Amino acid sequence: MESNAGTTETRSNVTVPDGGEVAAFESLQFTDEIHRLISAPATDNASSFTALLELPATQVVELLHSPESVKLIVASAPNVEDFKGSFHFPSNTGLIQKDARFSVFSGEGNNKNEKSNSPEMTSKNSSANLEKAVKSEPAETASSLPLVSDPTVENRNIKRKDREKKVKGSTKKSKTATNERLEDAEKLPYVHVRARRGQATDSHSLAERARREKINARMKLLQELVPGCNKISGTALVLDEIINHVQSLQRQVEFLSMRLATVNPRIDFNLDSLFTPESGSTMDGGNFPSLVTPLMWPDVQVNGYRQQFQHQWHFDTLKQPIWGREEVCNNYVTLENSLLSYDSSANSAATLHANQLKMEL
Amino acid sequence: MMNTPQQVKNPSTSLKSRFITRFLGALTKINAEDPISSPSPTRIFQRYRRIKVASNKSMAYSVRSRRIWSRAMLSRFRSRRSAFSGRRSSVKTTNCTTINVTINENKTAKGGLDMQTDELRELVPGGEAMDVCNLLDETAHYIKCLTTQVQVMRKIVDFCHLSK
Repeated sequence: MESNAGTTETRSNVTVPDGGEVAAFESLQFTDEIHRLISAPATDNASSFTALLELPATQVVELLHSPESVKLIVASAPNVEDFKGSFHFPSNTGLIQKDARFSVFSGEGNNKNEKSNSPEMTSKNSSANLEKAVKSEPAETASSLPLVSDPTVENRNIKRKDREKKVKGSTKKSKTATNERLEDAEKLPYVHVRARRGQATDSHSLAERARREKINARMKLLQELVPGCNKISGTALVLDEIINHVQSLQRQVEFLSMRLATVNPRIDFNLDSLFTPESGSTMDGGNFPSLVTPLMWPDVQVNGYRQQFQHQWHFDTLKQPIWGREEVCNNYVTLENSLLSYDSSANSAATLHANQLKMEL
Repeated sequence: MMNTPQQVKNPSTSLKSRFITRFLGALTKINAEDPISSPSPTRIFQRYRRIKVASNKSMAYSVRSRRIWSRAMLSRFRSRRSAFSGRRSSVKTTNCTTINVTINENKTAKGGLDMQTDELRELVPGGEAMDVCNLLDETAHYIKCLTTQVQVMRKIVDFCHLSK
């Protein structure tokens, strides 16, 4: 394999840190990963750590937007020599952190890059702040990465992981053109794994993106709520539809209340007389059917009941609680169930309704 | 208007049932207070207004303070009530307009959709002081409640027509 030369080189270098310096940097994990890396089949480009580092570095230069990344790349260049020499990890924690952040998992296609970079980075990152990025990296990158099992990474924020998954999903959907280009063209370094590929990494844009996602989620809910909105694409039109819907609903309320105002005079909603005698008995009991609900919901398919409605209604207008409640019970128990079943959420309304009305009046 | 004591909060109490309860109670009150058989348009108009207010109030009370829009609506009712008693007049509306103006100036979110969000803010009670995210949330709930309202009222009307 072409990497043999490089690997031998690295191998010799690996033995060195076993003893000393690496120990300071959680050598055990690192060396394990290094061994894994070495034993793993190498892919094309990078044959040595230097090459590996250069590759992502250059591409990161192209793709990164944030200034920090540029600094990192600049800074990482001298580190390459260090790596070459003796796996002497840079003691510069700032650099370490930045290195970590740049989630060097250069692309899913390039396993070697990933493996070589990630072990360094993750081990370095054990104390880094940008653990989140690192954690995202394992989640993002191919499952072949051994890093996923890195305990330090796993202890990170779960929230970030969710976002990464979302990001991964979004990368699959390739929401932005830049993402697509990145994925297809180079399949190399992520700008910032937390963000989508190819997008800015500063906190402002991240927050904005999160906000936009929230808003889009809510727009979807609204689209489902408003009939006929599913087919419309484009936020402006959907919002227009929603506005129209709200306006029409408000107008309907007004219209119906006008109808009630005109219709009502003929009807005496005389619930007082109906309920006051019952107040003691059926406060809690759900067995007593509400006298009012069947009267109010004429959705009965059973026509036979209608006449009884009218009969009862006459009684009502006479303000005489004449009807034996037991009779009414028999009539309306079945009615309630059918009437209120028109809405699944109101199934229990019947029994509660009576109680509530009593309490109100 | 709604001098109801604390209702029994059954876990199975749905928004619809709460609204039905309150609204029917309000209707009976309105019917009791008004002379029923008065065909004059002014009286009918007054009834209409009262019923409309009762309907919105019933819904707002059914939602209690769980939503921004219901809270805004309830405070609107309360201020209106005190306005009727002669103390202040439409303080709320002036406040709303000022808030609206400031929000307009500070809008950064969706450049081309400011107009729609503005309209939405006007429609949804209390929308002036909400950010877009909350506004959409509240709109969804408001739409749900409005549909319930319309459904219930339609049934009442149908029933009343039926029983004539």
